[in-house]
Amino acid sequence: MSERPSLWWIDWRLSRGPLVRETIGRFLFFCLLGFALLSLLLSGGVSRILADRFAITAVLRAEVPSAEGEGLARKAAALPPVRSATYRDPEAAWKEFLRAYPGLDPLRGAGENPLPGYIEIRIRPDRLTGEDVDFVASALRSVPLVEHVLAGEEWLPRLLRAGRLASWACWGIFGGFLAAFFLVGRLQERARAVALAGDFAFLAERGVPAGRLAFLRVAGAAISGFLLAAAGTAAGGGALFLFLRKFPFLEGGIGPPSDLLLPRTVAAAALFSCGAALLSAAASLLGWRAARPGRK
Amino acid sequence: MTRGTRRILSVLLAATVSLCILFPPAAPAARDVAAELRKERGRLLQMKEREEKTVQELTEALRMEKRSKGRVGELQEQLKRQRSLLSRIDRKVSALNERLEGTEKAVRKLEAAHGQARTALQRAEVAAFAGQRTGAGDPLHPSARERERHFMRAYLAADAEGVDRITRAQERKAEELSGLERQVAVTEKKMAREKKVGDTLLSRQEEERRRLADIEREKKRKEKELKSLRAKIVRMESVVSRVERQVKERERRAKKWMAPGSAAREPAEAPRRFASLSGGLSAPLAGKVVTRFGRQHDTTFDVTIENRGVEIEAPSGASVKSVGQGEVAFAGAVSGFGNVLIVQHGGGLFSVYGRLETFLVKQGEAVKKGTVVGRLPGSPSGKSVLYLELRAGGTAIDPTSAIPLDS
Repeated sequence: MSERPSLWWIDWRLSRGPLVRETIGRFLFFCLLGFALLSLLLSGGVSRILADRFAITAVLRAEVPSAEGEGLARKAAALPPVRSATYRDPEAAWKEFLRAYPGLDPLRGAGENPLPGYIEIRIRPDRLTGEDVDFVASALRSVPLVEHVLAGEEWLPRLLRAGRLASWACWGIFGGFLAAFFLVGRLQERARAVALAGDFAFLAERGVPAGRLAFLRVAGAAISGFLLAAAGTAAGGGALFLFLRKFPFLEGGIGPPSDLLLPRTVAAAALFSCGAALLSAAASLLGWRAARPGRK
Repeated sequence: MTRGTRRILSVLLAATVSLCILFPPAAPAARDVAAELRKERGRLLQMKEREEKTVQELTEALRMEKRSKGRVGELQEQLKRQRSLLSRIDRKVSALNERLEGTEKAVRKLEAAHGQARTALQRAEVAAFAGQRTGAGDPLHPSARERERHFMRAYLAADAEGVDRITRAQERKAEELSGLERQVAVTEKKMAREKKVGDTLLSRQEEERRRLADIEREKKRKEKELKSLRAKIVRMESVVSRVERQVKERERRAKKWMAPGSAAREPAEAPRRFASLSGGLSAPLAGKVVTRFGRQHDTTFDVTIENRGVEIEAPSGASVKSVGQGEVAFAGAVSGFGNVLIVQHGGGLFSVYGRLETFLVKQGEAVKKGTVVGRLPGSPSGKSVLYLELRAGGTAIDPTSAIPLDS
């Protein structure tokens, strides 16, 4: 009984050196893509940056005492779209104003503080939409203690539109990198198939079906692609975690490191790995077909 | 003319008239005496006129003095009120000036505050609209910029309101200042007017005082003159008395010659002589004796005078009756006594009625006791006074000793 050799990982057996280089390259690329993917997932594109810049200001009436202002801030913080609501009394408002306009301090002399207290309301990044902002602003306007609500009605739609465009651009870039990964992978697969064409012809002459050979190579590429994507994403996530810990000010734009362990983040990373496996398999198949005799 | 003066005059008059009637010139020696008596009477009449005039002038001086003193008192009272009013006005002016000063200070302070506020507002406007702020043009914090713009508007509105408030306060103070200035002007004008009134009052008071001093000098001069006149009258009376004594002596000698052995009648018997008249004596009218006979002290001039008769107060227009039977020896006007009527009762007895308004009998006409001889004059007070004198042998006797009169 003749022993039939296993066709799994045939490329590893036939061309170990180039395959090691390709694997290292793909891992590093997946690390980069994983870092970018997780950053995009955490920041929601530029939503977190916009949410950090945008705030609704509820200007209170002059006679509202601090206790009532703080109570109103707590109520505002309980609204679903609201991330935080901070009350600032007239004294704090006056100091902030004078910090912005330091030259005005000596002008006023002994005059009393003309500014009232206010509540600064920040929206959750994932709820930073025109509807949610309007909802919060309307809720605040209905409160008798509030004299005026500043919600950027004039410029917020433009800002949100710009934010959406920026997010799409980010995801587009990410998609471009994926496409580049696919094209590069296809070229690598084709080149390897051409290089191993003699070996594959030899196997065919001994009765190994070409289809089986191609299938096993695609399956091997998918498994290796999934594992590499998962490992690269994990490594990228780790790097992002360390990066955010080292530079906390970036949390305002990206998000807290703890969000990396959220199930939705992990699920997104797993989905990305699956996608990477599919892309690897497709690149392998297309490379195989491109390397068949009679094709360029 | 005072009552004392009148009495003195009445005595002199009665003596003069009596002597004239009693002793007609019957012999050369008697003619000399009569001539002397006429001469003295003429001098006495002149003196009386002068005295009456002096008394009138003195009385007028006293009245004027009283009136002048009253006016001086009134002027002093007015001056006191004027000074009080001026003092009040002065205090009011001081208070107004203090308020004026305070308001002027407030206006100056408001002007300075207004200038500062306007400057601050202008600089704040420059800072607001020229982007002079830290972090200006930072597009990464649009909400903060929006809030700052809102607060800047509130700041500018508060500053503008402050400027408006100061402007309004300034206008109010300016109006108050204007009102106070008007008040001060009005009050000062009033004070000047009242000062002028006060000056006028002072000058009037000075004038009145000078007039009073003149009156007092005139009064003293008249009193001196009156005193001198009275001294002269006294001397004249002594002359007349001496002449009367000579006449009585002559009469006594004549009676002694006609009825030797008849005893001379003493003056103390005079009332009995009047009582022995046919039909007796009766009161000339119903009234009250207001001036008694004899030496009386005159409080007005502070002198002691000798009354030769009495004065009887009776209703105005009352009829005057003869006290006894006799003949009208004289009816005519005597200076200082008005209309005088003398009735000769015989035996050296005479009754004299002075201050009559009208005579109802004529000289030489016989009258009986109770015959109406005249009437008293009318008077606003409803009272008039009759002068009554009884003379016996050239000597005045107390009528109340011979006639029952109500005293």
